[in-house]
Amino acid sequence: MSEVTTHISPDVHHDEHAHSKFVKHHEHHHESNFITKYIFCQDHKTIAKQFLFTGTFMAIIGLSLSILFRLQLAFPNTPMPFLETLLGKWAPGGILDPNFYLALVTMHGTIIVFFVLTAGLSGTFSNFLIPLQIGARDMASGFLNMLSYWAFFISSCLMLISLGIETGPASGGWVIYPPLSALPQAMPGSGLGMTLWLVAMVFFIASALLGGINYITTVLNLRTKGMSMDRLPLTIWAFFITAIIGVLSFPVLFSAALLLVFDRSFGTSFYLSDIFIGGEMLHYKGGSPILFQHLFWFLGHPEVYIIILPALGISSEVISTQSRKPIFGYKAMILSMGAIMFLSFIVWAHHMFVTGMNPFLGTIFMFFTVLIAIPSAVKAFNYIATMWNGNLQFTPAMLFAIGLVSFFISGGVTGLFLGNAAVDIPLHDTYFVTAHFHLVMGSSAAFGFFAGVYHWFPKMFGKKMSNKLGYVHFWLTFVGAYCVFLPMHFMGFAGMPRRYYVQTAFDFTQGYENLNIFITMAAIITFIAQIMFVFNLVRSAIWGEKSEPNPWNSNTLEWTTEDVLPGHGNWKGEIPEVYRWPYDYNKPGVKADFLPQHIRPEDIVFEEGYDKGHFVEHHDMEHA
Amino acid sequence: MDAQTILTLLKFAIPVVLVLAAYNLYLVFKLKNVDMFANWDRNKINGILMLLFVIFGTIASIWGTMLYDDTYILIHNPASDHGVEIDSMFYVTAVITGFVCILTNGVLFYFGYKYSGREGKKAVYYPENNKLEIAWTVVPAIVVTLLILSGMNTWWKVTGDAPADRIELELTGKQFAWDIRYPGADNKFGVVTWDSINDAGGNSYGYHFASDKNGQDDFNPQEIYLPVNKAVKVLIRSRDVLHCPTMPHFRMKIDAVPGMTTSYWFTPIITTDSMRKIRNNPKFVYELACQEICGGGHWNMRRVIHVVTQAEYDKWTKEQKPTYLAWQEANAPKEVAAAEPKTDTTQVAKPAVPAQPATPTPAPSVKGGAKVEAKKQPIAAPAKETPKAAAPAAKPAEPAKKTVAVKGGKVNP
Repeated sequence: MSEVTTHISPDVHHDEHAHSKFVKHHEHHHESNFITKYIFCQDHKTIAKQFLFTGTFMAIIGLSLSILFRLQLAFPNTPMPFLETLLGKWAPGGILDPNFYLALVTMHGTIIVFFVLTAGLSGTFSNFLIPLQIGARDMASGFLNMLSYWAFFISSCLMLISLGIETGPASGGWVIYPPLSALPQAMPGSGLGMTLWLVAMVFFIASALLGGINYITTVLNLRTKGMSMDRLPLTIWAFFITAIIGVLSFPVLFSAALLLVFDRSFGTSFYLSDIFIGGEMLHYKGGSPILFQHLFWFLGHPEVYIIILPALGISSEVISTQSRKPIFGYKAMILSMGAIMFLSFIVWAHHMFVTGMNPFLGTIFMFFTVLIAIPSAVKAFNYIATMWNGNLQFTPAMLFAIGLVSFFISGGVTGLFLGNAAVDIPLHDTYFVTAHFHLVMGSSAAFGFFAGVYHWFPKMFGKKMSNKLGYVHFWLTFVGAYCVFLPMHFMGFAGMPRRYYVQTAFDFTQGYENLNIFITMAAIITFIAQIMFVFNLVRSAIWGEKSEPNPWNSNTLEWTTEDVLPGHGNWKGEIPEVYRWPYDYNKPGVKADFLPQHIRPEDIVFEEGYDKGHFVEHHDMEHA
Repeated sequence: MDAQTILTLLKFAIPVVLVLAAYNLYLVFKLKNVDMFANWDRNKINGILMLLFVIFGTIASIWGTMLYDDTYILIHNPASDHGVEIDSMFYVTAVITGFVCILTNGVLFYFGYKYSGREGKKAVYYPENNKLEIAWTVVPAIVVTLLILSGMNTWWKVTGDAPADRIELELTGKQFAWDIRYPGADNKFGVVTWDSINDAGGNSYGYHFASDKNGQDDFNPQEIYLPVNKAVKVLIRSRDVLHCPTMPHFRMKIDAVPGMTTSYWFTPIITTDSMRKIRNNPKFVYELACQEICGGGHWNMRRVIHVVTQAEYDKWTKEQKPTYLAWQEANAPKEVAAAEPKTDTTQVAKPAVPAQPATPTPAPSVKGGAKVEAKKQPIAAPAKETPKAAAPAAKPAEPAKKTVAVKGGKVNP
């Protein structure tokens, strides 16, 4: 078996487009110097890998931060000397500083929401799959695409630098509500740390917009012949809709951040009014902190769909392929994603039911919020119907896709509590909310990411990942994530507030010492499983077993490239033409259990004895 | 079996899992020829695991939920009229969503088990069924419409106008404590503004005592007392950052926003004494907490709420001393200072006279007062709020001394 780990196989050698990654001094492409090939590269596949590795790195940082504050919650007031070694003055005597606890919570949220689940997920798979699945040679603008990555890179660097500065990183929660985030007197993290946060986010928004506008343009203009919008894989539909949401909502976050910069640095009063803090009276007059919340959540809520829709797109593709069945209700899936997109813009104030907003507004936002349950339910039912009577192939990607659906259901139903303004009053800002969004958006989207990596790894690196490690990774992560987040509902029923440094100051928050230890242990095990994933990723990329061209017998175009590892331009010859939708698995009459999009009708191999006259393409069937 | 036992079991289980994982790693990379997994059917194994997961997961979830049932103060024994309404809404939602969650997860994993792939099996080509799509669009639509309608009904009741027959009190959030204010005998709150706040001068609430008679009988107790079965309207303000006064037993919560006054109202329906019997806990008290992130001491903004009979409440209010009296004492040489408010900038720096009293026109005093306080009294929680645990006290944000003069100077009366 050892020969399979040999990283250069003969046919890769003399195949000039099977990228020159492993072939030194082999000039064969117009852009082959090291810098343009690996650093300032305009090839969408390389940019996707850059997003993948940067996002994975940020994920490790973000998860590590969560382990630190989980230790604090499990063992409050217990000196842990290694914390002092690690954090210095933020953990004197091995006991975490309350302000740094908030910094950890804030940076965990910021990094995971923006840098991992937005850029890491959408950036990786939109870039990688859009040109390959629609049959294009690259993005509409490779240059903008490259800028998008480098803006993200700068943003990541600034965010990481802010972790190490003297006053600590931003600590006012990932939602950075002013006045807390605007006044350095309010907490140390609102000084330089907050400034760096804001600057980093400006670069991040630039990256998201450059990426988004590129995805939209590419999907609309660069589809290959025959690839009409109703033959697009659902992954592409998801990335397309995600990009539209991003382009429409990120600029609003930018304006919110800009006004906050004005308040912080130039003495304006957009968000601040009547403040007496740290023994001094401030001059701000007439601003409203609630204005910031409206602007923030106008992005903040669509943001959760920016995170979850690509994951749902990936799971649609994976579940259909590995069930060997067409996705159930292709049009219903697109319509429900469209409905989610539309609704996502008019529900933002459900985060603000108890902020002093007019109760009448609460009624309207409650109405639209609860409506989102309908398209979400349709999607969940369609996944389950796709699996019905399938021939399920449990690759690691398939397991993660099923795990995603489970998290989406379990975390989604609790949204009906929180979207209902009256029930939200007691539950708001408790662990119930933490449990809700960690399941429905955090774990769910992370599972979409894993499903995508396991599924498209052979196309990205021409190698296979270790399945066994994948199974261990899945079961540890799946059971682990439920063990971490399910008990948080219990603490929510007890009214346990979020972002509490210790839970001993109140009578009603007592009694969870054991549960907190349980959650922390589960979190550590889950974290170890993620390290195994990273190990698998890196090891397989370098020493993995060589993959065949279409390892999952999939229908979509990315598996049709002449080379397993396509070069810049994707197809050496003509771009294949498309004749049908991408979900013809186990089509009656067809001999193989899949019928790729690019097979010409006259080339279809039918079962013996099948009357070709009975064969109807899916889109013709609908019209009949 | 209690949580402690589980925990002990877990302590043994975790090393076992880790050892197994490590062993697996070892097999995968070192000894492929004796791979114990080589002949396993991945579809069969994972299908069975899915079935086991959903069965044991459901049992464990229900068992875990019941295990902590005693602590669910947020969904048991509502102590206010609004709480009763909200809780019934909660339970309706819980029954519907619990059913949907268990059913769909159950079907999902059962399908995973039932339809796990086998050699030579052919999946059914079944791309769509519009009737089915319509059914599972319309049924959830009907359910959520019912939820929305009853939710709106509850929301309007809870956020509607408070009855005229009520008492009022005011909460002001600050880093990191709640100031409580009752309007006193005249039932009228005195005027308070943030620019009259003078922590060192006995006026941390920002009263205008000299000019405003309404404020002279207001009192600021350390604990909240409420009469049972009488509506109470809570006015909520903040003097620095966002806070959120939460009364979990009464299901009440709204943010404290600097620059505006928010409010909620409710009618307590169970006295503290009765609740002690109901919960079988002689030490039980209602509590007020902060639930909007506000800085390093966010976790420790506790106040106790007592719900008492009307008679006890009346007795308590009579015992309370107006803040005005304490302020007069703290500002003993008041007559001198008040006569010449503008000359005492040097005087306030002396320890004998902590700070100048508030004057009818607060503007001239702002600069000096602010400076003195910045040096002498970084905001700290009152002694009463010492954490129960031996946790390090919340570190108040270091006042930015360098900027005091600049920012104080910017004050525009």
